[in-house]
Amino acid sequence: MLALNVWLLAVGTAFLFALRGWRSWGEAARLAGLAYMLGVASTGVVLVWALVVGIPFSVATILGAGLLVAVLALIAAYRLGRRPPPRTRLRLPRLSLFAAVSAALVAVYLEALFRSGRLAALTEFDGWFFWVPKAKAIFYFGDLDNQFFRELPHHGYPPLVPTVEAAAFRFMGSADVVTLHLQFWFLFVGFVAALVGLLAPRVSPLFLWPPLLLVLVTPRVTGYALQAQADFLLEELIAVAALVIGLWLFERRDWQLVAAGVLLAAAMLAKREGSLFGACVLLAAIGATWRQARTAWPRLAIVGVGAAAATAPWWILLHVRHLSAEGPEAGGTGLFSHADLAWPSLRLTVSTLFDYRQWLVVVPVALLAIALAFLAGARRLPGYAALLYVFGAAALTYTTWAFPSIPITKDPINPIIRLTGWLVLVMPAVVPLVLRDAWQAIDAKDET
Amino acid sequence: MPDDPPRLPALAADRRRNTSFRRLTRLGLACCVAVTSAFAIGYFPRAVSHLDDTASTNNALSLADRDVGGGNSVVVHQNAPYEARRLIPTSARYRVVTGGRLRNASPLTGSFVDGWFRSFLIPRRTSAAARWIICYGCDVSLLGAPYTVRWQDDNGISIGDLR
Repeated sequence: MLALNVWLLAVGTAFLFALRGWRSWGEAARLAGLAYMLGVASTGVVLVWALVVGIPFSVATILGAGLLVAVLALIAAYRLGRRPPPRTRLRLPRLSLFAAVSAALVAVYLEALFRSGRLAALTEFDGWFFWVPKAKAIFYFGDLDNQFFRELPHHGYPPLVPTVEAAAFRFMGSADVVTLHLQFWFLFVGFVAALVGLLAPRVSPLFLWPPLLLVLVTPRVTGYALQAQADFLLEELIAVAALVIGLWLFERRDWQLVAAGVLLAAAMLAKREGSLFGACVLLAAIGATWRQARTAWPRLAIVGVGAAAATAPWWILLHVRHLSAEGPEAGGTGLFSHADLAWPSLRLTVSTLFDYRQWLVVVPVALLAIALAFLAGARRLPGYAALLYVFGAAALTYTTWAFPSIPITKDPINPIIRLTGWLVLVMPAVVPLVLRDAWQAIDAKDET
Repeated sequence: MPDDPPRLPALAADRRRNTSFRRLTRLGLACCVAVTSAFAIGYFPRAVSHLDDTASTNNALSLADRDVGGGNSVVVHQNAPYEARRLIPTSARYRVVTGGRLRNASPLTGSFVDGWFRSFLIPRRTSAAARWIICYGCDVSLLGAPYTVRWQDDNGISIGDLR
């Protein structure tokens, strides 16, 4: 499994090198988390395509899919004139005491998380009921087996997570559902490293580490981050995409949009809600750039269309096999015939987002930071973050409202607690930038 | 310009108000970071302790407990899935048949035992006409053919094949 994740890191490193290049090897090391997430996303998407067209799933396929991404990336890098940074002695970054202590706490946490997952049994219901059986089917039969994918519950769910799990099984040599939890540990570490690597040079450690630590210690993250199902990977991909797009709002580097597109494509192939949450991220960016609509909106639209197009092979396969896509029970105009569910669904969303026993004070802190940033005179980043939360809450309300057969409750039968995680994992990605903008806005006013 | 002199103190007052407002906003931001840090530090020992406890609990589980996982609340006894794996060839088809003669069943057994075995026994496939039977309190006389029991326990669970 370690070899698989090193491979995904290598693929993502080649991909990121093509996207932006590096000024130094230290910078490359700092962005290793983002590279890993891009490696997971790009290799995962290619593997899903390979499964859809019937290429047998094996170690060779996993290596080949990664190699394809890496070779294409390196060709692009060569064409774009990217050069490896000069060989210099790798210098450790200079950390403030606060940053060093915070990083040490995160390392201690991740080590404890590793131990908690190393011998974990597969007890999560959705995990043993259909996510892991799908992965086992890919592992044993080498394809999206017609019988299993038809008979298992939720055949319409996109298969990126079972594909990643099956890749882990392949590299483990058996369908070891206990060790499988460590694959989710690698994904979680990649997520944390991506946030830190992207934000560290841009924001003060005081704005970066406390939100990250707060999210890590929430009961929900502590208890469920390594579950062998799709929710956390989906939310990690969306959160990193939201961060990269947030950076694009004021840096306007094209590579950031390409990276976001790949991450969103993987998110959309991870779970049906990926399309919904991905749309929220893009709509928030569209709302935050309404003054630059002519230049920004077409680019954001291309990201959305590109990411959605990457999921097309999966939907075509469902159509060819005469399987339903398992859309919302009351989607579209059906919502109007269940209008009575709108308010209870919204109330459930809000009460879950503010549920102290699940998420502590993550969402109140995020909203407070956004409000203070507006008061300080910052606009674009707080506007983006505010729209993320507004659209996100609306999307979460929709997930309950559009499924009238699901009781409006926080009990596990309704996935609302799991789904709200995306607005929680987005917090340490976006709020540090909001705080930085707010502080800078006050500084700018002080100087005038 | 007769109005100018009175405006100067007003501008100065505005500036003071703005400065105070900015100070307050800065204080608010600092409080926001402080509250976040306080919760993060305050809950850190609890989170790590929880993770330690989870690791200890998982470490104390038997191999079978870990392997069966969620099935522990479904299958009544761990012997049944392991006997099924031992007896049913990997290329064979099987079906799970439930009935009212099961003892010590959990509330989840009837609804989920079929789905759990489907996951546990992959690559064995299920089939409505399968020769191999995993009988969970079923009425064997309704299976449609003579049933040879290969393994059974006291809870009314048996595994066998139809001739």
